[in-house]
This record gives sequence, structure tokens and C-alpha cells, in this order.
Amino acid sequence: MDVLTVKNLHKQFGTFTAVNNVSFSIGEGEIVGLLGPNGAGKTTTIQMLLSLMSPTSGSIAFFGKSFFSHHEEILQRINTSSGYARLPWRLTVWENLNVYAYMYKVANRKEKIYSLSDRFEVLDLLPKKFQDLSAGQMTRILLVKAFLNDPEVLLLDEPTASLDPDIAEKIRNFILEERSRRNMSMLITSHNMSEVEEMCDRVVFLNHGKVFAVDTPAGLAHRNDKAELSLMIKDGLKRLVKSAIRDNFSYVEKNRFITITIPESKIAPFLLDIGKQGIEYDEIEITRPSLENFFLSVSKGAV
Amino acid sequence: MKPIAWHRVWAVVLRHLYNFYHSWDRIVDAFYWPSLDIIIWGLTISALTKQGQGAIIQISMVVSGIILWYVLWRGQYEITVNLLEELWSENLGNLFSSPLTLPEWTIALCALGFLKLILTIAFTALVAYFLYAVNIFHLGFALIPFIVGLLIMGWGFGLFIAGLFLRFGTNIQTLAWAGGFALMPFSATYYPLDSLPNWVQAVAHFLPSSYIFEGMRSVLLTGSFQTDMMIKSYLLNAVFLMLALAFFIRSFRLARINGLAHLK
Repeated sequence: MDVLTVKNLHKQFGTFTAVNNVSFSIGEGEIVGLLGPNGAGKTTTIQMLLSLMSPTSGSIAFFGKSFFSHHEEILQRINTSSGYARLPWRLTVWENLNVYAYMYKVANRKEKIYSLSDRFEVLDLLPKKFQDLSAGQMTRILLVKAFLNDPEVLLLDEPTASLDPDIAEKIRNFILEERSRRNMSMLITSHNMSEVEEMCDRVVFLNHGKVFAVDTPAGLAHRNDKAELSLMIKDGLKRLVKSAIRDNFSYVEKNRFITITIPESKIAPFLLDIGKQGIEYDEIEITRPSLENFFLSVSKGAV
Repeated sequence: MKPIAWHRVWAVVLRHLYNFYHSWDRIVDAFYWPSLDIIIWGLTISALTKQGQGAIIQISMVVSGIILWYVLWRGQYEITVNLLEELWSENLGNLFSSPLTLPEWTIALCALGFLKLILTIAFTALVAYFLYAVNIFHLGFALIPFIVGLLIMGWGFGLFIAGLFLRFGTNIQTLAWAGGFALMPFSATYYPLDSLPNWVQAVAHFLPSSYIFEGMRSVLLTGSFQTDMMIKSYLLNAVFLMLALAFFIRSFRLARINGLAHLK
């Protein structure tokens, strides 16, 4: 069963179309990445999914119920966090979390706040004022807030932005554990492509407000099959360049190093060919097509 | 209308009570300015009385007028400044991505106005009593309709200004403090209505507050409670509150079209 169904979502600001007939769904226990270059419509879409912005047209349904007619019931069952959101800065962390625990009618408020704070390693921050926290600490507190009501669907906008790599990894692990434990579903935007590849079952790729592609992270990565073959040549650099030109592969050459952009499927025959020609190399590095390559290709309009 | 979830109303009230506790600005607004007003006006009237010019204006009228004025101001201020607090701390997105509804939020802000009004009245009444031996409670039970009427007017005016903030953001934030004072000259707060210029009187007839302050003077001077004035005041209040609510709800819908999280 789909926990979120978005149909023909459209948002118009005057003559500018921010979101153009976007449709997608999220299944129970599924983690979906919402990706796209800046201005693609990701944040606008998430804001409409949180009722912070009303759509111009289209429909949103959570748990099979219309968001517009079951607004409070649905918002009680979902939650959100953003790497850029803030909480009232004069209040202490404890006070802020206590307010939202009341808001979501959390049972055993104190225990819940302490146990989540422990999981996110922010127990020592509870007595501190929100204004005295670093950006990374604020992000973690907002994640604690997001888990207060044990959401069935979590909408995360850049959740690990401004976090140290070790903390970001712990948070990713926690989120994946919660998914396994409670079958929680999630929509996540991130500029960290390796994070998306690690966490997401599917990616909805937006570009210029439209759904450009929907696929698994690996599926999207392989839509652009260009790999990069980097070699440090010991002998035969001129012959290697000739071979690249012959096969219409673009290349960048610097001193004894050469990087050739080549379809992944042609790497093996190419290496075999240069081996036959007696071209010798000391180092080799192959960068396979990745989600990041796909992202960059779409941003540059190459796909 | 959907039932009100009181735990969410309490969450908003608690959020602002925490803020009140931590903020010197809010504490000064609640106690310092009202006390300063009473001291300055009380001393001015005392000086005029000593010079033989205070026959018409009694100190009890002016001081009682100040205390009651802060009822109206407090109702308006709590709605507008607490909305500004959410805009300054970028918390509006967190609030309205939770199940909190607009009626619950509005009730919470009005309740805060009422709670802090009790604090302000209690404190200023003590200041007035100890400095000038003026006892606001001499107004007796008439005080209740006066306070309720002024509080409702404060809520109405607060909702109107909050509606403006939802449309224009913090660019016009000074209205949160200064807006209410625009009503003061037309409310006959310190002086009898008939002592004011004709054009001021013409405007005053449309303000619920002018009938309340006139009613207060009537109780202080003659001991009689002017029921007809209260009826006019409450009828005007009902009309203005409905209009203000409609404007506030419409402004919130417009803000949602542009995105609540973008509002600054």
C-alpha cells in the first residue's frame, strides 16, 4: 500500500511554474530520494506535502486519505526535519522539545525526549539555549523533534547538512534502523549523492519543476554510462592518445597522466587493445558511472 | 468546526511562557512601561492639581484610564508580538507542519493576552495604589465588563495587525508596539469625550474603547454604570472582531499560497 500518493501537483507563482504536474508515490517502508538541481522544485514540493504551501492544483493523499480533508490527522502521523530549519532561539533545547512533545501529545514525554536525545547524542545539550548551539547541533535537535511522535512518514530536507561525517553516518544508521523496526517510510532530499545511494530505494529526479526520471539510484546512475579511465603511462602515451581519438573517446592529458571518458562496457576491450599495442602503465583508476555523474549531467543539460 | 485540541493550545501557550521567562524585553514590556506611564501621568496630574488646574481631571481617572488602556494594549500586543517571535525564530514552518490548526493557534495567542493581562493589571494596580492611593477596584463589578470589552477590542486589533504581518512580514513590525497607540487619542482614555475636538469625537463614536472609558469616568464621578454605552461598545466590538478575524484568516490563506516558511 502506498503511504503517500502525489498526483499532478502543480505550483504557479505568477508566470513562474515552480512545480509542474508532478506525480509520484511512496510505498510502506520505502525510502524515496527527491533529487534535482537547485530550483528544480524539491523544497516547494516538500512544503506542499507539509501544508506549509497550498498547491495551485493537484492532489496529495497520505495513507489513502486526502491531505486537504484529513489535514490534522495526517500531520499527527508524519513529521519533518530540515538541515536549515530553526527552533525558537531563546528557549532551551529541553523546552523546545517539551513544547513539541505536547503538540504531538507524546506519551511519556520526558522518557521519549531523553531516549531520543541519547540516541542522537545530544543529552548534554538539553539545558542549553537553542541560540548557543552550532549548526550541526541544531540539525540533530531538529531530528529529535522529528522522531518525537514516531512518524509513519518522515519528510527530510537535507537532514545531514552541516553534520560531521561520523554523526551523519550514525544518523543514517538510526534512520535505517527505524525503517526496519517500524516500517517507516521516508522522502528525503539531499545533495549528498552517496547518502542517497546508500539510503534510498528509489529516486524521483526533478528538473525545472517536472519529474525527469524515477528509478533506483543504480538505475539512474547507469542512464549515463560514461566512466572515467585514468592511467599513469610509463610508455606509449602518443599511441594511447591515437587509440582514444580513433574510438572517439574524449580525454584529458597532463604530464604522464591521461583521463579518458569512455562507456563502461568498452573499458575492457580498450584495455585489451592498448595491452596488445604494448602500451605500459603504472597506475590505473576506473570511476564507474554514479548518481553524482547523472546529477551533474542533468544539471549541465547533457542528459 | 473541528474540535479544539487543548494540548496543542497549551503547547503554544507554554512556548510563549518559556519565552517570557527568558526574555528581558517581554518582562520590561509587561511591567516597566505600564509602571512608567502611571508614574509620569500621576506626577503630571499632581503638579497640575497643585497649580489649581487639576479640578476637571482627577488623578484617579487618569491612573485608572492608564491601567485599563493596558488591558486593550496587552490583548493586541500578545497576538502581534508572539506572531513576530515566530517569524524572528523561523518557527512558523515547524508550527504549521505539526497538527496545530489556525483556530488553536489563535485561541492560544488570545489566552496569552488574558494571562499576561492579569499579571500587568495586578502589578500596575499595586503601583497605582502605593504611589497615588488610587484603587482601580473601586470600580467594583463594573470593572469586569470594562476589562472584557477592552480585551476583546485588543484581540480584534491584534488580529488585524497580525493579518498585516502575514501579508507584509516583519517590514512593518513596529505596528506590534505602536499600532495600538494609534487608537489612544480617539479612545478618550484620559479625558472626557466632550472635551476633545469635534473630529476626534466623530472618530471616537466608532471605537468600542471610547464608550468604555466614558463609562469608567461615569462610575468614578457619579457611581452610575451606563448600560447603553456598554451595549454600544459590545456591539461595535462584535462587528470589529468578526471583521478582524475574517481579515486574519484571509491573510493566513494568502500567506499559505506564497509559503508560510518563506514569511519573514
